[in-house]
Amino acid sequence: MNRFGHIIIREWKRILSLKVFYLVMLVVPVLLFSFYAVIYQKEEAKHLSFAIWDDDQSPVSRQLTFLLEQREALNITRRVSSEAEVERLIQQGKILGAIHFPVNMQKDIYSRHPVNVTLYTNAASLVPAKMVYKAVAEVVITGSSGVILKKLIKTGMKADQAMALANPIKLNSYQLYNASYNYQEYLVPGLITVGIQMILIISSMLALNYEWKTETMQELYELSKGSALTVITAKTIAHLVVSWVNFILIAFVVFPFFDIGISAATGKFFVIYTLLSLACIGIGLFISALFKDVMLSGDTALFYTSPAFVFSGFTFPRWAMPWYDQYYATIMPYTPFLDAFFKVYYMNLPLHYAQADLNKLLLFCAVMFPTAILLFQRQFNTSKDEKAIRAVHN
Amino acid sequence: MKKQSGQSIIKLFLREAALVAKDHSLLLTLLIAPLLYAFFYGSIYINKEEQNVKLAVVDDDHSRLSRLLQQNIDNSPIVELIHFPNLEEAKEQMYRGNCQGYFYIPKGTESNLLTLKQSNVVLAVNAARFLPSSDILMNVQQICLTIGAGVRLQYFQKSEGMSSTIAMQNVMPVNLDYRPMFNERSSYGAFLLPGLLALILQQTLLIGLSESVAGERQHSRIGEWLRGGISTGIWGKGLFYLFLFSAYAFFFLNVNYNLLNLPMRGNGFELSVLLILFILTLIPMAQFIGSLFKSQLLCLQMMAFSTYPIFLITGYSWPFESLPLAVQWLSKLLPTTPFIQIYSSIVQSGASLSANPSALIHLILLWCFYSVIAYIRLNMLKKNLLSA
Repeated sequence: MNRFGHIIIREWKRILSLKVFYLVMLVVPVLLFSFYAVIYQKEEAKHLSFAIWDDDQSPVSRQLTFLLEQREALNITRRVSSEAEVERLIQQGKILGAIHFPVNMQKDIYSRHPVNVTLYTNAASLVPAKMVYKAVAEVVITGSSGVILKKLIKTGMKADQAMALANPIKLNSYQLYNASYNYQEYLVPGLITVGIQMILIISSMLALNYEWKTETMQELYELSKGSALTVITAKTIAHLVVSWVNFILIAFVVFPFFDIGISAATGKFFVIYTLLSLACIGIGLFISALFKDVMLSGDTALFYTSPAFVFSGFTFPRWAMPWYDQYYATIMPYTPFLDAFFKVYYMNLPLHYAQADLNKLLLFCAVMFPTAILLFQRQFNTSKDEKAIRAVHN
Repeated sequence: MKKQSGQSIIKLFLREAALVAKDHSLLLTLLIAPLLYAFFYGSIYINKEEQNVKLAVVDDDHSRLSRLLQQNIDNSPIVELIHFPNLEEAKEQMYRGNCQGYFYIPKGTESNLLTLKQSNVVLAVNAARFLPSSDILMNVQQICLTIGAGVRLQYFQKSEGMSSTIAMQNVMPVNLDYRPMFNERSSYGAFLLPGLLALILQQTLLIGLSESVAGERQHSRIGEWLRGGISTGIWGKGLFYLFLFSAYAFFFLNVNYNLLNLPMRGNGFELSVLLILFILTLIPMAQFIGSLFKSQLLCLQMMAFSTYPIFLITGYSWPFESLPLAVQWLSKLLPTTPFIQIYSSIVQSGASLSANPSALIHLILLWCFYSVIAYIRLNMLKKNLLSA
């Protein structure tokens, strides 16, 4: 076997025997990715605690209450009698929203007086508040259209004409690529891929400098005949292969088990995943070549990777961020990966739609690997001196 | 005896301060990261809500009504329309990520209305991205309803001969008056920022303190640290973190809240009591976690992966009741869960500390729980050291 192959196998042995590698690269992915999928197992937030404040006590208010009870998003848990009570229950976290049917609501509807039905939500909890609003708005709009329809039919208008006037502009809405706003489908692939970025950088940032810690730099020097290029190429391949093992875990174990993702897009996912892996390994190796001190290396990697999810624009779009944050987002490989991931995975579009994003990922590789080689070669040359190794270790 | 213990606590406090000053990793995690993260993460949401989300529009009707629809949508601060001559081009722009959906007004939209037929318009949004798509959907839906009401108003006035007042009363028999409480604009920033600042406080404390304890093990300093007794060791070391993170909490609530324009609706004193209780709970928890590691580096690596899972299961971003039962139990073991419930109700809805008695008792119980397990674990380590 040539020296190249020896370094690859040596690196795999290190990955399997050193805790700082195998825990991060092999144990964390299994636990973390399964955990993410389990959190959102219920897919949508349902049965949100909701209160009715019925000052009308009429057949119409009872009918509306019945319609609200039929909504899966809502769970009517209480009857209340004042706004203060609604506020108090929301503050205590006992309800997420409430609806108020005013006194004489039925009478006003029948006597052609407009009625205001008030919906209160705890908008400090934004996700449930939006769900409550959606469920209640649908019921109230349907109820209101029904009242108009009845009135128009009473005047002798034909049913189809009355319908056209009750709802003149019918909005046919389509939520493409995630019709039911399924949180598991939306968040889990994003959380897993951002986790992969973190795993790759936090492990590969030790690929070079940890050799000082284990006092094996001299051995590596001899094995590679002092070539930083050989070491970095071989270590990149070793780490990339482990990253592919994690791809198998994601695409063929976690996703099918939890019924997540689009299996038809797996091939394209593999392409962008590999590019993300290479970019992350490049960054990790760069950090590793830059700092001999493993703790400093760890702190730098942690500081660099941890904001990736929020800066990438996954939950809050980048265009809504201030310009300086938008610039910062571009220095993380997860940002172009995410843009590509949306297109080729969530939307299952051909790869060419993500060409610009893939180029950005390639740019990370083109900058990081040569810089890491240059930095490491300088460091590597000093490793001949055993005293220098000991000095650093001590 | 009491005096001796007090002196030991102060000594340990000073020892920890010296230790942090010498350890650049702890220095970065404890002194730089909290402030940097608070400003850095906070700035993302400084605008609080998204604006001008791009929506492609294809108008095949070219009528007064279609122009009115577009004008109303474009006037909304949330949506910005970009015009395309056909659906293929609009779809292509969505595929390229240049817009978040398309709105189609087919030919005959206005003429249908004039002949008392329902008009159909189409809105397709890219729901792979939740926030922009739901914002577009909500806005366009509202505009279609408003213009629909306008159509009825004109019909009642012109065909039925109603006065404007009577016609107005007939247009919308049942109106929905929506009152989003404690975040009036339903903005994403106002929702997320208070929780995010609390999470930064928690995670930097957990990572820093657990790293410090792992460092004690790594450098064989457990004996020296716990010489004055386990409890003294825990709270002597912890005192440094209590002071430091109380100062950060004070700083976040006064400086970051002001800079980010976040309202603090509750009582400042009650919030301080809560924050101190929270920090007191995190201190033994972090020491217990740190005591499980023999290496500071490994501790840092593992703790790096704790931030997102903790945040996701506390019930802040996703309703607690919608979590699987096993995850709910796990979540109940985290001080973040009861803390965030009381904290958000004080900060965002102006509740008092006593408004959430069960969560308060929960947090106190967790403080006792983590104090006991940290004591047991460190006692075990000390005994092992003595027997070795």
